[in-house]
Amino acid sequence: MTNAALITAQDVMKVYDTGRVEVRALRGVTLDVHKGDLLAIVGPSGSGKTTFLNLIGALDVATAGRLNVLDRDVSALSKRQRADLRLHSLGFVFQAYNLVPVLTARENVEFVLELQGVGAQRNKQAMEILEQLGLEEFADRRPNELSGGQQQRVAVARAVASKPQLVLADEPTANLDGENAEILLTMMRRLNKDHGITFVFSTHDPRVVAHARRVVTLVDGRVAKDETKTPVPLSDGSGESKENAPCGTSAPEKPKGRSSWPCGLWFLPV
Amino acid sequence: MRLSISTRYAIWSLRRHLRRTILAVLGIGLGSAICLFIIAFVKGEGMMMLKAAAESGAGHLRVVPARWPEVRENDLRLVDWRDVAQTVRAVKGITLVTPHARTEGLLAFGTRVAGVEILGVDPNTEQDTNRLVREIPEGRYLAAGELGTTVIGRTLAERLDVELDDSLMVTVADRHGEMSSAMLRIVGIAETGSEDLDAIICHVNLEDVESLTGRDGAADLTAMVENPKHLKRMVAQLGDQLSDDYAVVTWEEIMPELASGVKVDETWTRLIVSIVMIVVFLGIMSAQLAAVLERRREFAVLSALGMKSGRMIRIMVAEGIILGLFGSVLGLIFGMPATYYVATHGIDFSSMYGDADLSVSNILFDPVFKGDFGWWLIPLAFELALLATVLSSLYPAWFAIRTDPAAALRVDN
Repeated sequence: MTNAALITAQDVMKVYDTGRVEVRALRGVTLDVHKGDLLAIVGPSGSGKTTFLNLIGALDVATAGRLNVLDRDVSALSKRQRADLRLHSLGFVFQAYNLVPVLTARENVEFVLELQGVGAQRNKQAMEILEQLGLEEFADRRPNELSGGQQQRVAVARAVASKPQLVLADEPTANLDGENAEILLTMMRRLNKDHGITFVFSTHDPRVVAHARRVVTLVDGRVAKDETKTPVPLSDGSGESKENAPCGTSAPEKPKGRSSWPCGLWFLPV
Repeated sequence: MRLSISTRYAIWSLRRHLRRTILAVLGIGLGSAICLFIIAFVKGEGMMMLKAAAESGAGHLRVVPARWPEVRENDLRLVDWRDVAQTVRAVKGITLVTPHARTEGLLAFGTRVAGVEILGVDPNTEQDTNRLVREIPEGRYLAAGELGTTVIGRTLAERLDVELDDSLMVTVADRHGEMSSAMLRIVGIAETGSEDLDAIICHVNLEDVESLTGRDGAADLTAMVENPKHLKRMVAQLGDQLSDDYAVVTWEEIMPELASGVKVDETWTRLIVSIVMIVVFLGIMSAQLAAVLERRREFAVLSALGMKSGRMIRIMVAEGIILGLFGSVLGLIFGMPATYYVATHGIDFSSMYGDADLSVSNILFDPVFKGDFGWWLIPLAFELALLATVLSSLYPAWFAIRTDPAAALRVDN
C-alpha cells in the first residue's frame, strides 16, 4: 500500500471497568488504514470490532497504546476536539440506521451541514446530495416512511454530506435483505472508487467481506489475520440490482425521471 | 423565515409525545395562572390597604416640621403652612392637600367625660381626603370659618350621651401647660361602620385648635397622590423645593405597622408563588428528563455526528422555551378572566368578618377585597413560565451532554 496512513494503531488496548469485573475488549491492536482502503473488520461476537470502530471514530478513547486518526492522537484530544474531528473528517453509518426520527431525509442530511456551519445553502446542498445518490424521491419522508434499505442509504448520504475522508460503518447490512445490502454496498464501493473515500466496516456479513479489498480478522481483541483480496467486481448494469449499474451507463430500468444512473458526486473530493 | 434544523428538531421532538407535551403545557399554564392570580390579588389588596389608610386621614405623604420624624410630637407646627401647601399642590401627581393639627383633650357633657385626640382641619378639603367623614348621616360636616363647632363619631356621642346641637366643653393643655377650655356645638355625628373609629372622631376647625392650644399653624400637610408608585419621585421633588425646616414623610413612615403588614403579605406571596413554580419546575424537569432518557440514542448519534455540548443545551433550552411560551399563553387564558373578575367584582369577606370591626390601627378597611389587573400581567406570565421552563431544561440538558455516544450506541448493538 503506497497511500498515506489515515489511521495508525499501535498496540491499542481498551479495558471496560464494569465495577465488578474488567472486560479487556482490545488487547493490543496494531493496524494501519490507508487512504482509499475498503477495509472490513471481521471476527466473532466480542472480538472487539465495534470497540475498535468506536476508538477510530473518536467516540471513545483507548486505555493504552497509540491511535492516530488523520494525524491526530485521539487520546490527546479534548471532548470538543474529538467532536470537531468527527464533524469535519469522519462519517458514520450505524447498524440501526439511527436517522433522527422526527426529521425528514433531507433534514437529516441538512442537520450535519448545519452542524458544520453551512448557512442558507445547506438546504440546497442537502437536496443535491440526495439527488446525486438517487434518493431525491425520499427527501421529504421521515424515517418511519422509508424501508430499512432506504433509511440506510439516507444514512450514507448523511455520512458523506460532511465530505469526510473516512466513513466508519458498523454492521451496515445487518438489518438488510440481500437486494438492499447489495444496493448499499455498491453505493459505498462507488463512493470509494470515484471519490477516494476510505471505508472501514465492522461486520459479520460475507456480503460486505466480498466487496472489501482488505479484511482484518479480530479474535479476542487482537488482530488474527490481515489480508488483502480482490473484491467482487462492481456490477456493470447486468447484475442483480439496478443500483449496480456503473456510472453514466444506461441500465435496463433506470430510476424514474433520470437519464442515467447516479454518476459522480460532484460535491465530494475526487 | 426558515427555522434552523436544530429548532425544527426541538419542535418536532415536543410533538412526538404530544400528550405529554400538552400535559406539561397544561401544568405550566395552570401554575402560571395560579401565580398570576395570587400576585394580582395580593398586589390589589396592598393597594387597597394603602388607599384605605391614605383615605382614613393618613394620606400618602405628609409635609411635617423637620423635627417631627425624630420626636413625633403633636405640638410641632408649620406656621406658614398655606405657602407650603401651594408648593405641595404644584407637584405633578399630587391631587389633594389638607392641613391637620392635633391635640389631646377632654370632652365633657354634664357628668360625662371622654378623652380624645382633637383633629383641627380645613373643612374645605378634609372631606375629600378623609373617607371617615365623607358622609355624615346625622347633621353635616364643619363649615369653613364657623368656629366653636365640632363633628364627632357615633360611639363618642353615645358615650357622652349627646345629640346634634348639644354643646360640649373641651379642655386642652395650651402651649404654656395651662388648661384652656371652650364650648363646641355638635353640628354632625359621623358613622364609619366601625365602633372603634366612631369612638375617636372629633373634628374641629383648624383655627379652634390654634386658639385652644395657643399654637399657630398646622402640624402637617397631608397629601393624596394620583399614583402611589410615583411617591419616591414626589418626595424627592418636594425635598428639593422645601427648605430644611420641613421634612417629607411617606405613608410607610407615617404608618410603619401597615408598611410591615404589606411587606409580610408580599413575602408570603413570594413564598407561595415560589412553591407553585418549584412544583411546576420539578414537573417540567421530570418530563424533560424522561424525554432525554428516551432520546438517549438520538443524542448519542448527534454527538457521534459531531454535535457539541453547546448546541445540545440550546436544543433542550429551545424545547423549554417552546413549552414556556405555550404555557404562558395558557396561563394568561386561565388566569386573566379570574384575575379580571376579582379586580372588578372583588371577593367579599364580610361574611367571614361577620359583625367584627373592619378597622385596624385607625384605618377603615373595605370588606370587599379587589385584585389588581393590567397589562403588567402579560410580561409577568411569560417571565414566570419561561423562567421555570428554561431553568428546568438545564438539568436534562446537562444529562444529555453527558451521554456517552459509544455507550449509547453499544446498547443499540
